[in-house]
Amino acid sequence: MTTWKKIAALAVVVPLSLTACGGDNGSNGSDGGDTGDGKLTVWAWDPAFNIYAINEAAKIYQQDNPDVEVEVIETPWDDLQTKLTTLAQSQEFGELPDIFLMQNNAFQKNVINYPDLFSDFSDSDVDFGEFPEGVVAYSTVDGVNYGLPFDNGTAISALRTDVLEEAGYTVDDFTDITWSEFIEKGEDVLAKTGKPLASGMAGSADLIMMMLQSAGASLFDDEGNPTIVGNEALIKSIETYQQLVESGVFVEVNSWDEFIGTFVNSNVAGVMQGVWIMGSIQSAEDQAGKWGITNLPKLDDVDGATHYSANGGSSWAISSNADKELAADFLASTFAGSTEFYDTILPSSGALANWLPAGESDVYGEPQDFFGGEPVFSQVLEFAAEVPSNNTGVYYYEGRDAVSAAVTKILGGTDVETALQEAQDNVEFAMQ
Amino acid sequence: MAEQRFATVPRTAPDAADPTPASRRRRFGLEQRRNLTGWIFLVPAAALILWMNFYPMFQALILSLKTGRGTRLNFADPLWFNYERLFSDEIFKLTVGNTFIYLAIQVPIMLVTALVLANLLNDKNLRFKGLWRTAIFLPAAVSLVSYSLVFRTMFANDGFVNDVLLWLNLVDSPINWLGQTDTARFVIILGLLWRWTGYNMVFYLAALQNIDYSSLEAAKIDGAGSFATFWYVTIPQLKPMILLTAIMSTNGTIQLFDESWNLTQGGPAYTSMTMSHYLFEVSFQRNPNFGYGAALSYVILIMVAVLAAVQMKIGDKRD
Repeated sequence: MTTWKKIAALAVVVPLSLTACGGDNGSNGSDGGDTGDGKLTVWAWDPAFNIYAINEAAKIYQQDNPDVEVEVIETPWDDLQTKLTTLAQSQEFGELPDIFLMQNNAFQKNVINYPDLFSDFSDSDVDFGEFPEGVVAYSTVDGVNYGLPFDNGTAISALRTDVLEEAGYTVDDFTDITWSEFIEKGEDVLAKTGKPLASGMAGSADLIMMMLQSAGASLFDDEGNPTIVGNEALIKSIETYQQLVESGVFVEVNSWDEFIGTFVNSNVAGVMQGVWIMGSIQSAEDQAGKWGITNLPKLDDVDGATHYSANGGSSWAISSNADKELAADFLASTFAGSTEFYDTILPSSGALANWLPAGESDVYGEPQDFFGGEPVFSQVLEFAAEVPSNNTGVYYYEGRDAVSAAVTKILGGTDVETALQEAQDNVEFAMQ
Repeated sequence: MAEQRFATVPRTAPDAADPTPASRRRRFGLEQRRNLTGWIFLVPAAALILWMNFYPMFQALILSLKTGRGTRLNFADPLWFNYERLFSDEIFKLTVGNTFIYLAIQVPIMLVTALVLANLLNDKNLRFKGLWRTAIFLPAAVSLVSYSLVFRTMFANDGFVNDVLLWLNLVDSPINWLGQTDTARFVIILGLLWRWTGYNMVFYLAALQNIDYSSLEAAKIDGAGSFATFWYVTIPQLKPMILLTAIMSTNGTIQLFDESWNLTQGGPAYTSMTMSHYLFEVSFQRNPNFGYGAALSYVILIMVAVLAAVQMKIGDKRD
C-alpha cells in the first residue's frame, strides 16, 4: 500500500513541478518578442539554409546597428505551424517571436485563419515591385502584404553527369524534353547503369504538384472550389507518375531522410525538386563536379505545358508581437535591400534570391565547380522567370493530401476516376 | 434489559472521561474530525484535478459544439453538427478501423506474452533474474518518439531488416515495409509489442510476489503440471492485475499517436493512421477545425469508457 501512496503523491507532485517549469518557459519566451529592447527573435527551421541566411543578415545589419541582437530559435516547420496555431487559439500573442519564416503554401491559410498573428508590411520600406509577382502573391491577402519572400522554389532537374556519360548521354539530352522521352531515356540509363534517375517520398505528391504547376494548372479554381475530378493536367500528371514508378526510373522511399540518402549515397542519378535541394546535393562532397542541372521535362499533350515549375519556397513574416519598426527595417535593409547579403549566402547555401536586384550581381554568373563549372544560379534565374503562377488557396494542404492518398491508391490498382472522385469528396468534406 | 444496559454505557462514558464544558461546544466529534483531516489532505489534489482535468474537459465539450475555422468559432446549428459530421467522414471511419485492428491484435498478444514472461522470470531457480528482468523492461524506458524513429530506420527499404532478410536469402528484393498497408500496420504492432510488453510484465511480476508460494507448492503436490498450475492457480490470483493491464492497454491503444505520426506518418493513404493522429491533423495540420477536433476527442473518450466498462463487467467477478 505504501508504494501506491508514493505513486499517488508523485502523481500530484510531478504535474505541479511540470507546471512550474511551464511557467518559467513562458516568462522566458515573452522576453523574446515585445518592443524596444533592440533584440529580435526569429523562428526558422534549417540550419544550413534559412537559419544560416538570417544569421548572415544579422551580421550585415549589425555593421550599421551594432546594438541590435538577433536570436534564432531553430523550429522545424511542423512544430512552427503547431506553435502558431496553439498561440493564436489561446490568444497568447506575447509568446510570439518578432519574425518567423513561413512556407509559401501555408501563408494564405494562416493569414486568413489567424490574422491576429501577423503585422503587415504596409508601413515598411520594402518595395514589393522588386520581387516576382507570382511569389509575392503567396503572402498577399486582399492586396495587403504579410510576407517578405525569401527563398525561391524554382524546380530544377539535377542529374549525375558521370552516370549519364556511362550510358552514353549528356545533360543536353535531358533538356527541353517531354516526360515520355524522359522515361524512355531513363529506362535506358537504368538498364545500362542500374541507377534510377529520380526518387521521392511515397505518399507525398511533390512531383505531381510540380508537374501540375508546370502546366499552369491547380487543384482549385479561381473561387477556391476543388477541381480534382476531370482535371486533365492532373490526370496526365498522375499517369506520368505511375509510368515513372512502374518503369523503375523513379524510386519511391518512405521518409525524407531516405529520400536525401538516395542521391547522397549515389543510389539514384538525379533529383527533381525546388532549387533549395542544391544545399543537400552539395553535402555529398565526393560527388563534386559530377552534377549538372537542367529544366524539367514537359507533360505530353497538355495545353500550356512548360518546362518550368516550383516547389516550396518560404517568406518572412513579422508577428503581431514584434518590435515592428526594427523588424521591418531589419528585413527591408537585408532581404529586400542588400546585394552584399545575397552574394554571401548564395554560393554557400544555394539560397537563390527572389529579390530581383540581387540577380544582377556577378555572383550569380560565376561558374560553380560542384556543378561541373556551369553558372547554375543564373540558369535557375532564367527558369524562375518562366514559372507559371500557382493558385494555392486556403485549402492547399487538404488538396495535396487528398491527391497524395489518391496516387497511393492508384498505384495500388484503384482506377483513376474512382480515386480522384474520392479525393474530391474528401476535400469538399474538409471544406464544409 | 440488555438493550437498556448497552444504551446507557456510551451515554455516560464521555461525561466520565471528559467532564469539562468546553468539550461540549466542540462542533465536530472525533470521527468527524478525522474525516475532515482526510478531506483537507485531499483538497489540493482534488482541486488540481478539477482545474487541470475536468475544467478543460468541460471546455472541450463546449468547443465540440462549435464550428468555424481558427478563432472564429460559433455554436453549430444544430448543436450536434460536429458529431453528425463524423458519421459521413470516410477518413475518420478508416482511422477507427485502423485503431481497432491495432487493439484487437496487439493487446491480446502483448498481455499473454507479458504473463508468460513474468511467470518464467518468477521462477525461484532462475539465474541472472535481475538481468533478464531489466533487459525486458528496458524498452519501456525509451521515449516513444526515439523508438519510432529507430523502427522507421530499421524498416526502411535499405534498412537493417531488409539487409538481414536479403543476406539470409529469405526475400529476393527489399520489402517496402512502410509503403504497404499490411506491412506498415505490422511494423506498428511490432513496435508496440516491443515497447510495452516489458512494461506490463512488471505489473504481473509485482502481482506474482503477492501469491503465496505454498499455494503453488500445494498444486504441485496434488500432481498439477506447470501449465495446470499456471492456468488454475496463478491466473485466477492475478485476475485483478490482468484487468488493470487490459484496461490500461486498451486505453493507451485507442489513444495511440506517436507511432502513427513518427513511424508511418499515417500512410500509405491514411491506412495506418490512428484516431488521435487524425484528430491532430484536423486541428493543426489542416485548416484548424478545433470544434470538430474536440468532437473527435469526445468520441474517443466514449469508446475508452465503454470498453473499460465492458472489461470491468467481464473481468471483475467479485460480488
